[in-house]
Amino acid sequence: MYKEKIEKILPSVQRPARYIGGEHGSVVKDKSKVEVRFAFCFPDTYDVGMSHLGMKILYGLKNAREEFWCERVFQPEADFEAKMREEGILLYGLESLDPIKDFDFIGFTLQYELSFTNVLNMLDLAGVPLRAADRGEDYPIVLGGGPCVCNPEPLADFFDLFILGEGEEVNLELMDLYNSMKKQGSTKQEFLREAAKIEGIYVPAFYEVLYNEDNTIKSCEPIYDDVPRKVKKRVIKDFNSVYYPKDFVVPFTQIVHDRAVVEVLRGCIRGCRFCQAGFIYRPFREKDVATITQSTKDLCSNTGYEEVSLSSLSTSDHTQINNLLEELVDYTKDEHISLSLPSLRVDNFSEEVLEKVKTVRKSGLTFAPEAGTQRLRDVINKNVTEEEIMRSCQIAFEGGYTSVKLYFMLGLPTETLEDIEGMANTAQKIIDLFYSIPKEKREKGGVTVSISCATFVPKPFTPFEFEPQATREEVEERQKHLLDCLKTKKIRASWHDYNISLLEAALARGDRRLSAVIEEAWRRGCKMDSWNEYFKPEIWWQVFEDLGIDPEFYACRRREYTEIMPWDHLDYLVSKRFFVRENKLAHQAVTTPNCKEKCSGCGIKKECGGVYCGRKV
Amino acid sequence: MEERFDYRLKFSKKGRAVYISHLDLMRTMQRAFKRAGLPIWYTQGFNPHAYIMFPLALSLGVVGECEVMDVALTKEIPFDEVKSSLNEALPTGLEIISVKEPMNEHKSIAKSEYEIVISGDANKTSFERFIEREKIEVKKLTKKKKEKVIDLKPYTEISELRDTSSGIYIKVLLPSGCETNINPGVLLDAFAEFSGADIQSKIRRTKILMANGKEFC
Repeated sequence: MYKEKIEKILPSVQRPARYIGGEHGSVVKDKSKVEVRFAFCFPDTYDVGMSHLGMKILYGLKNAREEFWCERVFQPEADFEAKMREEGILLYGLESLDPIKDFDFIGFTLQYELSFTNVLNMLDLAGVPLRAADRGEDYPIVLGGGPCVCNPEPLADFFDLFILGEGEEVNLELMDLYNSMKKQGSTKQEFLREAAKIEGIYVPAFYEVLYNEDNTIKSCEPIYDDVPRKVKKRVIKDFNSVYYPKDFVVPFTQIVHDRAVVEVLRGCIRGCRFCQAGFIYRPFREKDVATITQSTKDLCSNTGYEEVSLSSLSTSDHTQINNLLEELVDYTKDEHISLSLPSLRVDNFSEEVLEKVKTVRKSGLTFAPEAGTQRLRDVINKNVTEEEIMRSCQIAFEGGYTSVKLYFMLGLPTETLEDIEGMANTAQKIIDLFYSIPKEKREKGGVTVSISCATFVPKPFTPFEFEPQATREEVEERQKHLLDCLKTKKIRASWHDYNISLLEAALARGDRRLSAVIEEAWRRGCKMDSWNEYFKPEIWWQVFEDLGIDPEFYACRRREYTEIMPWDHLDYLVSKRFFVRENKLAHQAVTTPNCKEKCSGCGIKKECGGVYCGRKV
Repeated sequence: MEERFDYRLKFSKKGRAVYISHLDLMRTMQRAFKRAGLPIWYTQGFNPHAYIMFPLALSLGVVGECEVMDVALTKEIPFDEVKSSLNEALPTGLEIISVKEPMNEHKSIAKSEYEIVISGDANKTSFERFIEREKIEVKKLTKKKKEKVIDLKPYTEISELRDTSSGIYIKVLLPSGCETNINPGVLLDAFAEFSGADIQSKIRRTKILMANGKEFC
């Protein structure tokens, strides 16, 4: 019946194949034989969500269990959502086409702060009350996972529970517990109480937050004795043998990343001080070459994809990178498959690696020096030197590349106008380098360099969690200065809207009082905030003002080392002491060696399975 | 140059698969061949691509019972084997009916037969009033995006028209191919406009015919 209602509106919307399921690899089960149903929601469109690796992993993992059925759910595009609301169609799972309101779990992956209003929108579209307190026994358990869960406080009122860290083990433990308690006829409260005892599960309603007069947090304590004071994130200790899907759902329509993806490593050895991923995914673990190669073969032959990409925070940090590439290039060449390698770092970008990539595909070259001068790069611990960038460009230009993209951040701690000039200088040196190469050794037609500037957003669980975000005036002044420094049309500069960065910063380091702001912003029409054409900053700032909450209090205020952060009751295994030490070093422009060179004692225990943990010089 | 072996496949497109667009169908098929382990022949040249061709596009939402696809492989593989291995690899809703050697040229396609069921606020009599007019003029966009008025009347050959429990049943022949191509949706839109009624329709393409009235594949 639901299928007919859906089919009635499909012909009138853009690319309807995104709303009806049926793709290769989608899992359809007999619902009478299934015990727990899980709606895996990605709070953005199909095109974006279907590109997300985490969903592919957890989808496969859950569906591998006979008694569980996990389905995919996305935020529909505006045209389809309008039709759904008009026809009274509730948000449904793409596999069964059943409304997710009747499922056992509704799980959201929280990948970026600007998707928060979509979470509310999807709950509403599903016919589920937004606030956990308003959802009785008949409604599903609403849970969240993903990187934003390291500070889920702004969403605390809407969720029953959050999953901290890596999901492969804890998702199944949680569903097993639920299944057995459901059979015993337990209540939701009883289930949540038990769930809170599983490592990695955080039930926000079990913690009471008190505030000081200056609006900082006074305390955050559990209200029950058997609930942990600090919730630890989960880590997969034996990463080489963790579950990895052998097949993907292969969409009919083109999506953002339409290819096979193989995960090669987790965590990062680098410790760039602005980078949240570099800390919350610690420790550094990798898969064997044989495991990765097997995954690649399985996925390519099962999906039929003709492109495979390696996923990691820094692929070239794999200890066996050369062996790995050799194996993969051999296989993919024979099979008409192209291999792409995002996340290659400048500093170990060897001629050998480039040679391997070159045989596959010649696209633009991207570097992320992040800051314009060596001083500032030392502050942020981005251990990339200008010589390294130039050396890599030289190899690349001689190998036929003609365009370079440079990623920088604007508004970093201690930044001055000199650092901004440094961005332009770096770009200019790359241009000069190109023309210094003899004509017969480089491509005709010249070179272009584009500078892409993101505004720095201080994030929890980084050494910069104490830092203020640059104000609008400061950022605008620096953007203008950058333009003034550019002397040639061969260099193009672009940046993000400051409004987006400010909102991201407020939501990233906000507390529970922001739940009201998010809800009201959504009620006034904010959703799809990460899409330029939908983002409505004027509504957001009006809501903040109307509710008497200052976004700059969360975004642009320097926080004392002793201040209680909204996320201090969550433990991502890297110690606060380490972050304070790193923050102090940053202000002295002193770098910290990467994990491979020397263990800096970040707090992650050796038992977590890190390749380099505890390494002495 | 790699040896090439040409095949013509007849397939159906039903169920959830009717929402796969023409462009997406190309990709979907290509991946299915890859999954099936059938080695597609790649065009030679600067930008090689898999040789898969659909002589006639099918509109989004329309069920196809006799769609045609030409493909070249680098190995000679028995027709039955191509059919069975591909069927195992295809998503639900797409099914290979037969595999043959290509016989007729694409340009010999002249007409398609459609079976249409119109439900809603309409019946046989209202459709007759619509179809029995002197002219059935509709606006159509040309390839250059210009609006042009065409008369559907001489192109529309209705062979069956009756009321059924699920609505008006119509069997109709319309021109297909590179010369003149009329999408049944155009006819139905004109009917909806003429009758002013709220109607829904289900369309199935049941035959692809040549000028001599024989099936293309």
